[in-house]
Amino acid sequence: MDRRNFFKTAMASVALGALFPASRAFADTDILWMTWENLAKDDYLSPFLSTSDVSLTKTFIGTDDEQFAKLRAGGASSVDLITPGLDKVEFYTASDLLQPIDFDKVPNAALLYDTFKKTPLGKVDGETYGIPFYWGINPIVYRADLMDEEPDWSVFFEGDKYDGKLAMRDYALEGIMIAAMYLGIPEEEMFDLDDAQLAEVKKVLMIQKSKLRTYWNSIGDLTNLFATGEVVCAFSWVPPYYDLRAKGIDMGMAKPKEGVIGWCDTIAVPKGVTGDRLDATFELVNYLLGPEYGKKLAVGGPYAQSTSAARDMLSAEEQEKIFINDLSVMDNFVWKKNPPRYNEWVALWNEVKAS
Amino acid sequence: MSQPVDKIGNWLALPVVAALTALCLAPLLILFVYSFFQVDFVTILHEPTFANYAKVAGSETYRGLIARAFGSALLVVGITAIIGYPVAWFIAKRVVAAKSTFLTLLLVPLYSGDLVRIFAWRVLLGAEGAVNRSLMWLGVTDTPFGGLLFSPLATHIALTYNYLPFMVIGLWLAFESLDDAWTEAAADLGAPAVDRFRRVTLPLTLPGLIAGGLMVFVMVAGDYLTPQLLGGASGITIISAVNDLFGTAFDWPLGSAIAWTMLAILMLCFGVGALAIRRSSFISEGT
Repeated sequence: MDRRNFFKTAMASVALGALFPASRAFADTDILWMTWENLAKDDYLSPFLSTSDVSLTKTFIGTDDEQFAKLRAGGASSVDLITPGLDKVEFYTASDLLQPIDFDKVPNAALLYDTFKKTPLGKVDGETYGIPFYWGINPIVYRADLMDEEPDWSVFFEGDKYDGKLAMRDYALEGIMIAAMYLGIPEEEMFDLDDAQLAEVKKVLMIQKSKLRTYWNSIGDLTNLFATGEVVCAFSWVPPYYDLRAKGIDMGMAKPKEGVIGWCDTIAVPKGVTGDRLDATFELVNYLLGPEYGKKLAVGGPYAQSTSAARDMLSAEEQEKIFINDLSVMDNFVWKKNPPRYNEWVALWNEVKAS
Repeated sequence: MSQPVDKIGNWLALPVVAALTALCLAPLLILFVYSFFQVDFVTILHEPTFANYAKVAGSETYRGLIARAFGSALLVVGITAIIGYPVAWFIAKRVVAAKSTFLTLLLVPLYSGDLVRIFAWRVLLGAEGAVNRSLMWLGVTDTPFGGLLFSPLATHIALTYNYLPFMVIGLWLAFESLDDAWTEAAADLGAPAVDRFRRVTLPLTLPGLIAGGLMVFVMVAGDYLTPQLLGGASGITIISAVNDLFGTAFDWPLGSAIAWTMLAILMLCFGVGALAIRRSSFISEGT
């Protein structure tokens, strides 16, 4: 190749190289989703990504607080979709970080279960800012082979049979909710405890602490503690129940009649998302509430979507695993809310742990 | 000729100084400023006040946790000093050919990462762990001893294990610099072994002891993972309380005030340590 031809070829290559990203830009709108790793598996998302003009970048969070801190610190401008807890949406709206959901662009939202349609959480002045996405319960999980009977919340406060064999999540909100349920404080008052009620709660939490083996911070750690027999009963998330049963350990899951803590995560769109990116984001939101994603989440999670889109596609066993075979189970749920005096709750929780 | 070279050196150092200022000092200064603010739900109120420092001083919980952090740090410094002193002496004065092997062996656990070491201790100290099985096999006890794991004992064993190398390295350097002629001269003058240690070896190795002690002190005071994962229901630390304040409670100002209180106490400890090193006979003899 002589020098002139080499020059021509090089110029042509540069021109083609410059055109290629432009053509990709026309084909795909790239959006960034900040979420939990278990919600954004490639397998869950591939049906959407293979049929739409949207490409997805994922960034994973370790805690809800971390997500809020990132957005609050100025990260909102680069993120198109986030996954805050239903009780935490208030943090984002009070910080003016979100935009309302355009339901015209999310037809699958019509299939939301009634509980989620009616909830005042995630809404401001009638506008929805965090649309319920998936939900579950945090029950009591226990070693059925090492306990005589199904426990309820009282196991953490009464008797001495399992002293030193119990574990509680290190989380002020749920720890105080459980104490309040044990004390019989009604749900309407639970998140607005007065001084006398907080004093009562503190008293029983001190008793609880004396019975605990440990406070757990990671569900993997709790699973290990169950497996080694260090802990026989804990306020838990659901995964250790299924993981350890699969390994041949006789595990039990109790849903106390005094109330079960229900959780729900939402999907929310930061305020700065506009134009094509906003359309693409709502396209993804609609997919996340639809049947294909719902089935994959139910089987792979197992977690329940907030809509009924995939319900009829699941076997009775799959429905039971994610508590949607009988939706009246939700009647006993106490959904987490953000208490107005939460700083005092955290201080109280730390006082108990430091005692 | 040297002046222009010095100037070039100063200019070359400028990016490093700027980076250190931006990356280390600036965040601390921001925390310091925040520690005088207040919070209302998720809004930081920029109205300067000493209320957060008053809250730290007035709270039995925070005072207790700070005291517990420094108490634990002092305890671990003491234990690592007692164990580390003969180990450092042995490596510096008795090992000749395999000195680097001993030092490498000392540092090997540090390559494994905090979590791995913590879980290794769980395997050892757990109800079905090696220690309990050995005790049962020896007939010392019929049932596993539950107090081994998830207790302050487990926390302090692991903290001592984790930070011992830092103490040994400080002491080893001091022993390497120690001229044996000093102790030999003391022996020739009839000083008994105890006096030789008390009046010659200890003062001359004091800078290493202080330097190693300060490193261990700072790291133990700031360690929250070990107490959290091995300390059981009593595993709360002041650092995990700060974590709660920055995370779930969104009380950044109070968290900043506690962080700066800790920092001020640590700086005071460093100041005292630096003063002690400066006044030690090791330095005065050397100059």
